[in-house]
Amino acid sequence: MSLCKMVEFFYALIPWKPWRGLLIRLHVENCPRCQAGLASREAVGSLLVQERGVDIGRPLWAGVESALREDSGRERMRGRAVQPPAMRSWGWAVATAFLFVLIAGFLLLKDFRPERAASTAAVPARFELEYVLVGGQPANTVVYQPQGSDMIIVWAGKSP
Amino acid sequence: MDEQELIAGCLRGRREDFRMIVERYTAPAMALAMNILGNRDDAEDACQELFIQVYRHLESYDKDRSFKNWVYTILYRRCLDLLKRRRRSAELVKKMGRETVLATPANPGHPHPSRSLPSGVLEILKAKERTALCLWVNEGYTAPEIGEVLRCSASTARVYLFQARKKIKKHLEQDHVSLQNG
Repeated sequence: MSLCKMVEFFYALIPWKPWRGLLIRLHVENCPRCQAGLASREAVGSLLVQERGVDIGRPLWAGVESALREDSGRERMRGRAVQPPAMRSWGWAVATAFLFVLIAGFLLLKDFRPERAASTAAVPARFELEYVLVGGQPANTVVYQPQGSDMIIVWAGKSP
Repeated sequence: MDEQELIAGCLRGRREDFRMIVERYTAPAMALAMNILGNRDDAEDACQELFIQVYRHLESYDKDRSFKNWVYTILYRRCLDLLKRRRRSAELVKKMGRETVLATPANPGHPHPSRSLPSGVLEILKAKERTALCLWVNEGYTAPEIGEVLRCSASTARVYLFQARKKIKKHLEQDHVSLQNG
């Protein structure tokens, strides 16, 4: 009796479900007095709708089946939207060819680039000056190229 | 036919096997749904949605779990969704200044009238408590099995069941007293 009261007190004191569950499992489920304070299976059963009391009015299968049929119809439509395997392989072939062209183009451009660089580097080597005239007279000329630069400076002075 | 065979048949696309599952589970599912929702029409909607969901997600069913528990878990969630929807529409109607009834009784014009939960019982119990109580009475489930359906621990399921039984007892005693007083 006093134990039941204590359990009730601690049940009300701590509203934490695991704790309450523990109290129920350890005491309430095994205590006839506490069980008497709860509705019995029979009493509850008289209030609830039971399986044998269910009268199936509307056949559920008809509704379920039509929904499933709609589902499979949608699946079929989705299947149609998806390309057939042959189309898919064509797509892959085109994509591969495009990629090949891109790579080839890149390599070709890359190959041309050093030549351009070489031609610019060769400019000073090919630089020639036949003569420079200042005031109708041949001038003294100095050709100067700074180190590590492609720039060429031509200085012309009047000859004495 | 064995349940696992029926499930395997459904997975192979055999509609007839699924029809057998639907027929097997209609009555217990309807009973559970009516006890949670309180009326037949909503219960029928919930059960129809349940079977559609079961068919669509049958591949995700774990064979190590009880199929019945899996079905009941889906049904329980469908019922909670319906209750939420019903509550929202009730609030909307209330805002509009009209009267509404939270739990509509079974349709009187229904060709197959069926008893629904007494409104008093429906009001004093939460959906989780009603589910726990129904599984305990109708299926003979224990706390761990109820917990599996409600997706909570056995301790929590024990608390729901305890509270529900306590409330029902109190309700029945009050009814008894009011009957004695005339």
